[in-house]
Amino acid sequence: MAMKITNEIKDSTIIITLDGELDASSSVVLDEELSDPEIMNFSKILVNCENLHYISSAGLGVFISHLQRFENAQIKLIFFNMQDKVRNVFEILGLDLLMTIVSNYDEAMTIADE
Amino acid sequence: MAEEEKIFLPYIQLPTQKGNELSQLKLNTVFRFMLYKKNAKTFLVVTALVSWSLLLANVLLTVESVRQGGSTGGVLPYFNNFLIIVFIVSVFLYQRNRTTHLKSNDFFSYLWNLFSRAGIGAYLAIAIYIGYQLSTSSFGLQSPLLLHIVYQLNFGLLVVFLAKAFYIWRQLLLYHKNKFLQIAWDWFEILIFSTLFLTFLRLDYTSYIFLPLLALLGFYIVFLCTNLKWVAYLSFNKKSRSLVVLTALLMSCYIFMRFFYQLANSPELVIDYTDVGFLLLVLLFVGAYCLAAFLVSLFSLPTSSVFEQKSQDLLSFQRLSQSIQQGQNEAQVKEMLFDSAIKASDAEAAWIEAPKGQTLQLTHMLNISEEQIERIRHLLLAYEISDVEYLNNTLNNTPGFKELELPWKSLLIIPIHSKKHQFGVLYLLKDIEYGFDRDTVNVLNTFVNQTTLTIENLRLISESLMNERYKEELKIASTVQENLIPKTFPSDSWFEISTHSRAAKEVGGDFYDFLQLSESRIAIIIGDVSGKGISAAFHMAQMKGIFHGLMQQDMPPSEFMRQANSALSRCLERTSFITSSLYIIDYRMKGFVFARAGHCHTLYYNAMMEDTFYFQTEGLGLGIIRNKNYSSHVREMFYDYNPGDVMVIYTDGIVEARNAKNEEYGEDRLLFMLTQTYHLEAEDIKCAMINDLIEFTGPDNLYDDQTLLVIKFKADQPNT
Repeated sequence: MAMKITNEIKDSTIIITLDGELDASSSVVLDEELSDPEIMNFSKILVNCENLHYISSAGLGVFISHLQRFENAQIKLIFFNMQDKVRNVFEILGLDLLMTIVSNYDEAMTIADE
Repeated sequence: MAEEEKIFLPYIQLPTQKGNELSQLKLNTVFRFMLYKKNAKTFLVVTALVSWSLLLANVLLTVESVRQGGSTGGVLPYFNNFLIIVFIVSVFLYQRNRTTHLKSNDFFSYLWNLFSRAGIGAYLAIAIYIGYQLSTSSFGLQSPLLLHIVYQLNFGLLVVFLAKAFYIWRQLLLYHKNKFLQIAWDWFEILIFSTLFLTFLRLDYTSYIFLPLLALLGFYIVFLCTNLKWVAYLSFNKKSRSLVVLTALLMSCYIFMRFFYQLANSPELVIDYTDVGFLLLVLLFVGAYCLAAFLVSLFSLPTSSVFEQKSQDLLSFQRLSQSIQQGQNEAQVKEMLFDSAIKASDAEAAWIEAPKGQTLQLTHMLNISEEQIERIRHLLLAYEISDVEYLNNTLNNTPGFKELELPWKSLLIIPIHSKKHQFGVLYLLKDIEYGFDRDTVNVLNTFVNQTTLTIENLRLISESLMNERYKEELKIASTVQENLIPKTFPSDSWFEISTHSRAAKEVGGDFYDFLQLSESRIAIIIGDVSGKGISAAFHMAQMKGIFHGLMQQDMPPSEFMRQANSALSRCLERTSFITSSLYIIDYRMKGFVFARAGHCHTLYYNAMMEDTFYFQTEGLGLGIIRNKNYSSHVREMFYDYNPGDVMVIYTDGIVEARNAKNEEYGEDRLLFMLTQTYHLEAEDIKCAMINDLIEFTGPDNLYDDQTLLVIKFKADQPNT
């Protein structure tokens, strides 16, 4: 049930891999990760959602709260490999219109490089 | 006895006759026993007095008859011995009944009691005898009668002394007894009383037939005299006082012994109590035990302080561990630790400091100035000694401390902390080198551990009390929130509405409400605040306020969402958002308009097309983007309804509910349920859906708030 968050850095891109369920408690960890001032040094943040099985409103809240900040700093936030169930949650809330959600890593990298 | 029954029985009220009889029977037994005991005592006292008086009279008569030249007569000695035995037995039995249990561990008071009530008799006896000697020598008159009276009086005093001493020694001897010792004593008592038969039968106990037996009894006495456990429980002070009393008691024994043996076989006396072997044996026992106690007390005097210290430590420990039940607070527990630690270690100076915010605060101090503490602390910081146990028994050889020129030579530091919390640090100082040995440090550590435990427990207790209060307040919040949700919708003939709502915690973040906009129009809103609990509940109340405030102006749903977003942007915290859907139904136009702001899709059954579907509209949740761009993210949708259409509005707690296998209930299953139930009344559709949901998740498996509204449109027009 617990969440595992791993980082991978490629040049100016940071790839955050979410593994597990993003609920109220694990979203605190994610928030800390995204609040790290060093993250502002990257131009792209890719979020690998391949193993993200569930996202709670608290987890969505974390992304929402950082959305404006990344936008202002012209940092691209891209989600990829998202499961349908999770994507549905993003869509219902209307977040698919605000955030970039693509199907796979390559696509994410091409968008990011634009 | 009958009178006593009358007094006591009214207080015992038992409902049944049988019970009443039973209790009466019990009471009777108790009374009988009490009366028996009381009567026995009186009987024994009377017997003792009568037998003693008869003995005196008989002795005096004998003296008189001897003086007049008559013979003593054959039966008289047997009669005398009989009276002696009756007297001895009654006095002993009386004392046996009196001293039954040790009421406390105040052994000194027993000794003092023995001396002041009986031991003093010896001194009285010697005074009487000297008085008699003086009177005979000064007045020059020889009176055998007077001598016999004195002798007889002293005999009485001796027996009383022996009886009292015998039974008080019994209590002391049997202190912390075991079964073997109890049996040994019982046999001793039987044996020693059986020697009275020798007297009764006028057998000479000094004859060599009985000597081995008596010698055996002597060994028995020596064995019994080794049971002196009570001496260990005397404090140094009590021990020294006991030594004085024991000396006085030994003197009493000696005086009695001296007195009776001096007059033994005296030609002036017609009776000789040294012939009574029983008395000799008891005197031997009393004297031996007295001597043993005296010697043991004397030699254990130097070690008594150790025992005292240990029992003091134990007592301190007990006090520390009991402080929770006594409802003490942290400061009092620390105070207790401070006192106990100083007592246990014999420290000259000490202090306790406790963290208060960022700084350290001195809570307790003894024989030390703040300036000295500051200097020591400074030095310890330099040595990087903080929050660790530290023992320095040679301060004057340690660089740094030497320069401080402190009057102490040993320092012990024990931090008071649990795994999570720091409660303070205990400092102890002594003015001798190697002042803290390992034993003391161990005891102090035990105290500190107990204190930590106690403080932790006290905190837990206060926390649980606090939690209890929060629970109460939550209950109130829950009631307040329940009142925010409408219980009844306007009942009209053109539609039916049925609602269900359940909060996962005391207060939830789901809400719904309605507002009658005009005669033919009604606005229905449903919403879900992200997160759960108190903050969600507050935002929910806020949303209700916004709904009522804005909808008074009657605006289209998309405009409402835009304004609500703008209002919420100012007050919602960064990570929170609200999803909501607003429906305005116009029955005159037979249609409705709605906007969805990130809320779950609306489930709909169209009776004309016989189709069940979700409205797929776009719409962003409230509070997600907090600028003017929001209006481009919300869409409005118009729809004309037909009679028999069913609209299902719900929150994500319904579709995201999970079963034990961690599967979601899902939109598909909800849709399927509607295809099976659309022909029912709104209330029945709702019940069917909720029952299916509970069947899916299992009972008591509620993680998120659940809200479900079922609206069924009907053909009937309202009566106008």
